[in-house]
Amino acid sequence: MQATVDKYQDTPVKLMLYPALIFLGMGMIFGNFIAFNTFIFPDYFSGEYIHFGRVRPVHVGHVTLLWLLSANVGLFYYFIPRLCGVALWSVKLAYISIALWWGALILGVYSYPWGTNFGWEYAELPNWIGWIPIKPMLIISWVLATINFFITIANRKFEKMYVSLWYAMGAMIWTSITLFVGSYVINMVPGGISRVNVSFFYVHNLVGLIFTPMGLATAYYFLPKISNVPIYSHRLSMIGFWSIAFIYAWIGSHHIIHGPVSQWLQTTAIVFSIWLFIPVWTVVHNLISTLIGHWDKFNESAPVRFIIMGVLFYLLTCVQGPLMALRNINEITSKTDWVIGHSHISLYATFTFFATAGIYQAIPVITKKPLWSNKLADWHFALSLWGSIFFIFSLWIGGFLQGLMWSTWANGSSYAEFHNNLTIFPFIQTISEMYTWWVLRGIGGLIILFANLLFIFNIFNTIVLAPAPMEAKVGS
Amino acid sequence: MSDHNSFMYKVEKSALITIIGIFLLFSMAMAVVLIAPRYVDPTWTTPTNPYQVQIYEIADPHLYITSSPGNSERQQVYHIKQDFSLLAFQESETTRIVSPPSLEKFITHPHDSSLKLTSQLLFLRKPVQIAGSFDGVAAADTLRKSLQEQWHKTHPADQNVPYFEILELYQPNGTEGFAVASSEGILENWIDRNFIILDDTVKQKYHQDPGVIYVNNPQEFRIRAYNVSDGKGWRYDPNGEPIQDLKQLQSHALGFKSRQELIQLGEHIYAIEGCWYCHTDQTRTLVQDVVLNGSDSYPAPPSSANEYIYQRITFPGTRRIGPDLSRVAVKRPSRDWHKGHFWSPKTASKGSIMPAFQHFFDTDPRGTGKNQMGIPNYRFEAIFQYLMTKGTRITPPTQAWWLGKDPVKTKEIIEGQRTLKP
Repeated sequence: MQATVDKYQDTPVKLMLYPALIFLGMGMIFGNFIAFNTFIFPDYFSGEYIHFGRVRPVHVGHVTLLWLLSANVGLFYYFIPRLCGVALWSVKLAYISIALWWGALILGVYSYPWGTNFGWEYAELPNWIGWIPIKPMLIISWVLATINFFITIANRKFEKMYVSLWYAMGAMIWTSITLFVGSYVINMVPGGISRVNVSFFYVHNLVGLIFTPMGLATAYYFLPKISNVPIYSHRLSMIGFWSIAFIYAWIGSHHIIHGPVSQWLQTTAIVFSIWLFIPVWTVVHNLISTLIGHWDKFNESAPVRFIIMGVLFYLLTCVQGPLMALRNINEITSKTDWVIGHSHISLYATFTFFATAGIYQAIPVITKKPLWSNKLADWHFALSLWGSIFFIFSLWIGGFLQGLMWSTWANGSSYAEFHNNLTIFPFIQTISEMYTWWVLRGIGGLIILFANLLFIFNIFNTIVLAPAPMEAKVGS
Repeated sequence: MSDHNSFMYKVEKSALITIIGIFLLFSMAMAVVLIAPRYVDPTWTTPTNPYQVQIYEIADPHLYITSSPGNSERQQVYHIKQDFSLLAFQESETTRIVSPPSLEKFITHPHDSSLKLTSQLLFLRKPVQIAGSFDGVAAADTLRKSLQEQWHKTHPADQNVPYFEILELYQPNGTEGFAVASSEGILENWIDRNFIILDDTVKQKYHQDPGVIYVNNPQEFRIRAYNVSDGKGWRYDPNGEPIQDLKQLQSHALGFKSRQELIQLGEHIYAIEGCWYCHTDQTRTLVQDVVLNGSDSYPAPPSSANEYIYQRITFPGTRRIGPDLSRVAVKRPSRDWHKGHFWSPKTASKGSIMPAFQHFFDTDPRGTGKNQMGIPNYRFEAIFQYLMTKGTRITPPTQAWWLGKDPVKTKEIIEGQRTLKP
């Protein structure tokens, strides 16, 4: 077995994962900065380059692209060759792709405070900074990685493909198209709502067809690997995959329900959103059932806990998602902080949990050293969980109350009454009422930041320190 | 799964079938949700009304605004082009117009039933005496005397004879000119009934629209330069030098930008400052939204697809921790309010969490102002002009929703909906 492990080239994995871990910490520092400087002590540090509107995209760029997407790609470099039983097709190509990747993302994300925001959600990366083509670099990097993975899959030793490979293939294809659509096609369609529609198609595919399949591929690979239990049902995972492929691309316009887009398009998005229950429940059922009879693994291993809690949060976020698309629930939750809670549960408490578990498993393998401290990993899990609960529930409750407060303006039967409701309870007061929830969110954010600093510290020590002390301990 | 010829087994082992399946499903969705809608729904690309088209395509590129440091006051100037811009010369009870006989037909008198418009380049000025041509001063004196006599006849007891302002209509040289714009620059003069265009032929396509934007009583924009301690300044002066051409107007010394440039710049600023992370730009089809954006007497009509068609980036928004901005130009039309608010939102609006945007202001070079607020720079002007497009351009000013003439009948809908339920 040792001989087969050695044939995999793991330098690309390291080149993706190590920087991604640093940006995980940075992203959370930026997140905490805005949580405090905007919502708890509004505009305490004031100025052109550090106000909320300019720092928020830096936080989002860090956690979505510099951390999560990069970590997921790094884990692809790790498990795709291992699932195929062959080495990565071209390590050189991987280096080129990785160099373009970090160049584009670091320059792009750190340029936002200087006014390079592209102006479309999740597509904030500028096309150009001076003569440097940021977005083309990112897209080329992605396409090179896609080619590399596909040829590796074509050369595979095992005929039958494991579900993670399907998700990986889907993610690579969908993302290539989605990135191009969100960055370039958006400027080819007429101005106005046509562009809004393209934008929300892009926004939702980024979550649904990039982070979801990448995260699920990771969970499907690492859960059986770490717990050493085979996956519960291969057929369920197939149903999950093909229903995601069928459903996700249709639901972009559920972001603009009650908005200025055509009603039939909204209805289409709502119908497909409800169908999302199918892939979600198959995935949740499959992953949870894998551990049936093996729950001791949950107690023993922090990575297993990360995956299982991630699955539970995935269930929660994916029950919310379709329900939020319903017109009557959307009336209350849409445009409130509920949405911010929803995006944090999916990107942090689900997909970051999956990627974290993957890293806990991959780093010891590629460095050939045991994890520096399992105890620290336990703390990382516990704090992450409690931080997430604080964070998410404060935004959900607060956001829902915010939506209910807005709806009080609609009490009555004449415009005079409606307007009077607004006069005695103006918009600005609905902001003040949020203060408590924002403080709780800030506390949750601090806990999450601390948890992840422990994580980074732990991984850093695993990589850098000699494994001797651990062995000595085991020996004694 | 034991049957190796079954379709499911093939799917599981063939990467090619997987890839084809992924492509097929994805392109199907794209065809319906991305490509189809704009062909199915004409409102995605058709403007709401001719006023929207004309204010974006005719008025905006020809209205120039400056807040250059050389001049302490904001100035607005119309760029008027022969055979393009429509002009009206309207008399009122106290303002009268004299003209050479050849131009007499362009004047709209108070008793005229329809407004006379022309695309000939003509201006109004204080009457002047030029040897060998029409004597404006004499004509004005005669007219004023007769008007005052008439006043005495109709108001024998009233000793306060009004001063009749008399202007002379004349034809300037050249095919373009610059006129003072006195409006706030948010709405344009619009007429959609009882008007006539006195041109021999149709000069522009928009002149045939059911309504037109026009410039009322244009007077030439002239400036006088002066020296101040810290450099050259200039100010508006009716007796000063005329503007040579567009280049001079746009030069650094004068610093004019067209409203179109400013709106596009404002859109860019809105993007890079991240305004759209906290403010939405859509009045949803919900009672709370039309109430939030409504005036004291009327609800705002919900946003429709076609009010966004002139934007390069549209910011519908996903979060509302600042009020919705889709009707802000009607709710907050005051330039002074926005000045104070951008300078210090927390003092202008108590409880606000909005950051201060003091980089929209330059420090006062003279430092003589009473308060510490800086002088708004072009960035303020741009974001202000951008915001002032929100909600004011969805209907012509004559059929405006804030006057209760909402074409969607929002008020009836939201009140009717409620009375249906017991």
